[in-house]
Amino acid sequence: MSPDAMLIQQLLQRDVDAFERLYDRHSRIVYALVLRIVRQGLTAEEVVQEVFLQLWRNAARYDTRRGPFAPWLMALARNRALDHLRLKNERQRRREDQTEELPPVIDVPQFEQALDEKRRAERVRALMGSLNPQQKKAIELAYFEGLSHTEIAETLKEPLGTVKSWIRNGLLRLKEGLRAAT
Amino acid sequence: MNKCDQFRELIEAYALRALDVEERVAFEAHLATGCKDCAKAVEEARWLVSQLGYLAPDAGPAEMLKGRLMQTVRSEARMTKSSLKPKTSIHFWMWAAVAALVLLTLYSAWDARRLQRDMQTANQRASAILQQRQELKAQLQLAKREAQILMDPNSKKIMLPPKDALMPRLEAMWHPELGLCVMGQKVPMPANKRVFQLWLIPKTTGSKPMPMQTLWPDADGKMVRVVENTPEPMWNTKAIAITEEPEGGSPQPTSEPMWLGGVS
Repeated sequence: MSPDAMLIQQLLQRDVDAFERLYDRHSRIVYALVLRIVRQGLTAEEVVQEVFLQLWRNAARYDTRRGPFAPWLMALARNRALDHLRLKNERQRRREDQTEELPPVIDVPQFEQALDEKRRAERVRALMGSLNPQQKKAIELAYFEGLSHTEIAETLKEPLGTVKSWIRNGLLRLKEGLRAAT
Repeated sequence: MNKCDQFRELIEAYALRALDVEERVAFEAHLATGCKDCAKAVEEARWLVSQLGYLAPDAGPAEMLKGRLMQTVRSEARMTKSSLKPKTSIHFWMWAAVAALVLLTLYSAWDARRLQRDMQTANQRASAILQQRQELKAQLQLAKREAQILMDPNSKKIMLPPKDALMPRLEAMWHPELGLCVMGQKVPMPANKRVFQLWLIPKTTGSKPMPMQTLWPDADGKMVRVVENTPEPMWNTKAIAITEEPEGGSPQPTSEPMWLGGVS
């Protein structure tokens, strides 16, 4: 059992120390992700607090057998941050039906286990840095801004089909790169 | 072409939530059909998308955030534990509960007894009403029988003259199948602790009078008695007599007949 999985088990027993350790392990990447999306420190802290309180209050909804904790937590943080962003930009109505209370199952490939967090972060940045700048920009608009294919095409003033290809090929290249890194 | 092929290029964008509405709805409809391959591919793509979080520039939250968060969490944890832990006031509540239980038991017992008494009273009333109803029914049957005997042309009228001229005359109507009906008006009450008794005197020589029902007048002096099953048939009866006897009647006459009438 992974350290995160053990801490989650303790968290289910309302173990405050286990919660603190989970916060210490993941708050930095969660905060960085949320800040990148909402672009404002106070709002980012508000979202991070909301994310970890949701974890504390609904830890039972995370199933340790169904996948690693960190991607699940990051998906949760991204969803919450995009919710705030949507509220701020009054775009929530367009996509609120896509928002879930908690992220769904995240199935981790075998090779993911072997890559520690720091190396993975460096590898992700390197792989994304190797993409065409517009291609990287398209993926970032989708991930950090919550834009759809059409909105990205309009933002970048590129054909819709090109944007779709950029995003899909960029993600597949990231996948292959992470696989090769192990 | 495999059914999944048309959706394969949508999987990563779906996990990224970048699909436009039409494509997303179509793909989710496909997932809803239970396609395991696409569902598995979506789960893996979600992991891949989560890795994009590492693109965010490194930054850490203020220490105050952790302080606020831990304060909230510790407070909620204490509340959870205190709600699970037995409270010190449990003894008071326990005794209060016991006292309430004792009171409830006593009240239940008293209430059960009260209900039992009420039920007994109700049963007695019901029995009395039932008995009254049966009596009325019997009286009604007798009245009907009396009417039948009086109205039927086959009934024979029998005069019962009194031995004492001051006493009223009685009459009887006897139907061979319906029975005997004795009646009279302005009949005085018998002496204290005495009743009138009806007798049939058979034709057979040497036979003793056959004892029958006792009878007495009502407050208005009216006296009616219906005998449905006479101990002797009409054809074998010589006369009808009425004597005064002790309460409950007698197996044989103890006094001279006060009324006597021949049958045939």
